[in-house]
Amino acid sequence: MLGPHRKSVTDMKPSQPKLCVSGWTPSGTILLAIMAILPLSACGQDDWVPVADSDGAMKSSGSVRAERRLYDGAPPVIPHDLFGAACSSCHDPLGIAVDGVGFAPANPHDDTDRAHATTRCRQCHVQVLADGLFVENSFHGLAQDLRPGSRLFEGAPPTIPHRLLMRENCAACHSGPGARAEIITTHPERVRCRQCHVPVTTREATLGYLEVRPSSPEGS
Amino acid sequence: MAMKRRRFLKALGAGTAGIAAFSCKDQDAARRISAGQGSTQDADLKWTKAPCRYCGTGCGVEVGVKDGRVRAVRGDEANPVNRGLLCVKGYHLPAMLYGEDRLTRPMRRNDDGRGFSPISWDEALDLIAEKYQQALDEAGPESVAFYGSGQWGIHDGYAVTKWFRGGLRSNNVEPNARLCMAAAVMGFMTQFQSDEPMGCYEDFEAGDDFILWGNNMAEMHPVLFSRILANKRENPNVRIVDIGTRRTPTSDYADMYVEFKPNTDLAIANGILHLLVANGQVDQTFIQENVVFRRGIEDLDRIGYGSWGPDGLGLSPDDGPAEHYRFADQARPSSFEDLETFLADYTPARVSEISGVPVGQIHALADMYGDQGRGTVSLWCMGVNQHVRGTWMNNLINDIHLITGKISRPGSNPFSLTGQPSACGTAREVGTLSNRLPADLVVMNPEHRAKAEEIWGIQPGTIPERPGYHTMDMFRAFMRGDIRVMWVQTTNPWVSIPNVNRIQREPNDGRFLIVSDIYPTPTTEAADLVLPSAGWVEREGTFGNSERRTQHWEKAVDPPGEAREDAWQVMEVAKRMGMEHLFPWPEDDWHEPMFEEYRRFGLGIGKDLASYQQLRETRGMLWPVVDGKETRYRYAAGYDPYVQKDEGVHFYKAKGFGEKAAFWLRPYHPAAESPDEEYPFWLCTGRILEHWHTGSMTRRVKQLHQAAPENYVEINRADATELSINSGDRVRLISRRGDLELRAKVDGRGQPPRGSLFVPFFDEARLINLLTVDAMCNISKEPDFKKCSVRIEKA
Repeated sequence: MLGPHRKSVTDMKPSQPKLCVSGWTPSGTILLAIMAILPLSACGQDDWVPVADSDGAMKSSGSVRAERRLYDGAPPVIPHDLFGAACSSCHDPLGIAVDGVGFAPANPHDDTDRAHATTRCRQCHVQVLADGLFVENSFHGLAQDLRPGSRLFEGAPPTIPHRLLMRENCAACHSGPGARAEIITTHPERVRCRQCHVPVTTREATLGYLEVRPSSPEGS
Repeated sequence: MAMKRRRFLKALGAGTAGIAAFSCKDQDAARRISAGQGSTQDADLKWTKAPCRYCGTGCGVEVGVKDGRVRAVRGDEANPVNRGLLCVKGYHLPAMLYGEDRLTRPMRRNDDGRGFSPISWDEALDLIAEKYQQALDEAGPESVAFYGSGQWGIHDGYAVTKWFRGGLRSNNVEPNARLCMAAAVMGFMTQFQSDEPMGCYEDFEAGDDFILWGNNMAEMHPVLFSRILANKRENPNVRIVDIGTRRTPTSDYADMYVEFKPNTDLAIANGILHLLVANGQVDQTFIQENVVFRRGIEDLDRIGYGSWGPDGLGLSPDDGPAEHYRFADQARPSSFEDLETFLADYTPARVSEISGVPVGQIHALADMYGDQGRGTVSLWCMGVNQHVRGTWMNNLINDIHLITGKISRPGSNPFSLTGQPSACGTAREVGTLSNRLPADLVVMNPEHRAKAEEIWGIQPGTIPERPGYHTMDMFRAFMRGDIRVMWVQTTNPWVSIPNVNRIQREPNDGRFLIVSDIYPTPTTEAADLVLPSAGWVEREGTFGNSERRTQHWEKAVDPPGEAREDAWQVMEVAKRMGMEHLFPWPEDDWHEPMFEEYRRFGLGIGKDLASYQQLRETRGMLWPVVDGKETRYRYAAGYDPYVQKDEGVHFYKAKGFGEKAAFWLRPYHPAAESPDEEYPFWLCTGRILEHWHTGSMTRRVKQLHQAAPENYVEINRADATELSINSGDRVRLISRRGDLELRAKVDGRGQPPRGSLFVPFFDEARLINLLTVDAMCNISKEPDFKKCSVRIEKA
């Protein structure tokens, strides 16, 4: 499989925040060149390097995030070439960044690090191949909900204010160079997030409950 | 290394491990969570449930509404169909309602034939009633028609079938499902005398081997395909076989890809049967208890293809275009011994010669079906159904399951998938095909007509005995002028009919075409009167999906402008024609009583639907629903309340076969049109992941449009090289019926073999159905969109 060579999580010490360097370019040609040499040199066993805050990394949040999806909760589109590589070679549970180029967001889904044989990313994520619209559209979608989870008291762990389906890998959004500063974790070494943070959301509360109209006299 | 990391994730549970890799540059960041911004946030939305608007899978979605507009959807985790997952079309559902060109007012074509002018609903409904009445008076009930689809909700289809058969006394009611599912209907009806699959989606977890017949499931039924992939992930012994005429994204996930020459799936299925019989891998006990053998007409020159010759019995274009196709099969008894003789022609060597499939793969397929230690699920959709011998192919797949006894068992079933959201619920269960009534009843049967007349409270003898036109003959009759008034709802035949050149018309040609839709399409362009419909959650409704699940949704938002739901439009016209007795319910509360009336057709005969109230309260129920309990496996002891036996199966609906299933011997026939010197390429047409049906909804969604902006032709790299065609080049496709300019795609998501091309049909500006042939299945009359011959040139 094409893709950068990198250390597994188990090889890394929590106190050393480092990332493998890789990434894409709009044309894809440079990427392929990088990919070709990476396994041998740039990402060898000792080549994990810290990633500084770059423009590219910051673009992964905010307006670009909104631009790449129809509404909060819709799957983002693929804004780059496919490079003939497995998606997981860049979008793994950690994410990959290149200084000055960009950050390949980590995969937030539980089973995204699985072999290609049983995961189909492109069922939901489609590539942008053209500009323009077939017809103008007036849809206004749900905005990203930035309200915090609640706390019992100052210092208590906040609850999780969103549902967890397809967002099982907390690290994808709550850490790394693509994470919004407001939600970045202070304690990545505490790997079992849901030991302290529990999902309490309006979404969760409504799940499984629907208002049901009483049967009218004519019915059944 | 990937394996190592995965184990690590598992050890820590729920994928939170990656977080260890990072630290935070700001220790206080988590306390600086900003206050909410943006106008429409999660907590402000009101959420209701609905089935997805698009395919026959029937995924559950929750619809988020604020200020009268849909703002978001999310996969419904409580719905057993999809458990929270959707495909890209499903996630982008909300924008489908908000294209700027929504139809919002009734519009009538101007007298000069150019353009449309708005009119009021009253004027429009009066005009329709007048046109229908005039046609009835002058030319009788055979001169009026209604063409709908499996996109109709159950109420819409029911209102139409009741009005037409019980009011206008016409059986000219057809759905787009004739182009889509009719062969599957006739497969189940000829063998089990009851439509629709015996299994349910739990087969995807219970099965071991999944054999896909001409079925690009990864793109067409993505969420169901994900269920198979999830099964394979947990159980590495699970196998997927892709039997197809081109490589697709589905092939990438298959353990074995079996490539065959078009139409020779008939030979492959017979080759499998040959080996099962020869190797003694048949379940003789099951056969003796549950199976009878039948043969039909098998001579090619007595059957034809429906496309050429006066009665459709011609075999080539030299016979001239057909105006009618009314072939009727004739059953005769057969036997297992007869089958052995019949199958002597289908040795692996001969099947390999016909189909191009290596002998080893035919053996491998037979071994999979013959292995009693493994559950086998066959899956198919348009590849088998849109086939000049589509009913035969349905018969043969069901035959393989019957002869091995691998049927009506969890994880072992023949499973026909549907393309439209309520192909099962409306087209098949309500019976909006020209020969059908609700709940598997047919107009030809006097007892069935009497039952319908009793439930509808109309005079005995009202419903005509003779079936109406099937879709292809209906449009031919419309072009001849034999049909004078036709109303089209929820479908787009001026894009989706094969050989669409044949139905081009000029305004003021003496016929009257009414089209109800939510957007302008080539079909509304052909209309004399255009009506604005309410779409999806802009009205209350019910759909029935591929696994017999009936799902209900409440109206969530108002339709735009003056748009109204399809069933309302129909009932208003009926009332104007003095047929208000057919719809005697309060104007503001008719959905439940109408459904409860419809439900009476199936109660007690194995087609029992859940009550409307139960449908409101659940994420759908699998019929038959008896005592409030659904049935996951039909005909199976321990699952189906109609089966009295302690074990095994009972095909209790097949009264005509002594309550056994019929095994049909069906031979191989070639396609209607095969490549020759002048037209050397096969042409196959179909869908892609991003666009649903003719694209009238999905193309109005930015993300879907930008992923698949225009139609293209997939060509094999070797053919492209030989013709000096590069990917992206403009090329011209030419068939005996039409020509079309497109861009070529080499090594795209699908890869046809040499001598074969594939073109999707979603693009109304590049209509591939200008080229396709109107040849059809001899029994179901479903057209074959998968096979005709063309040549390709650089444009």
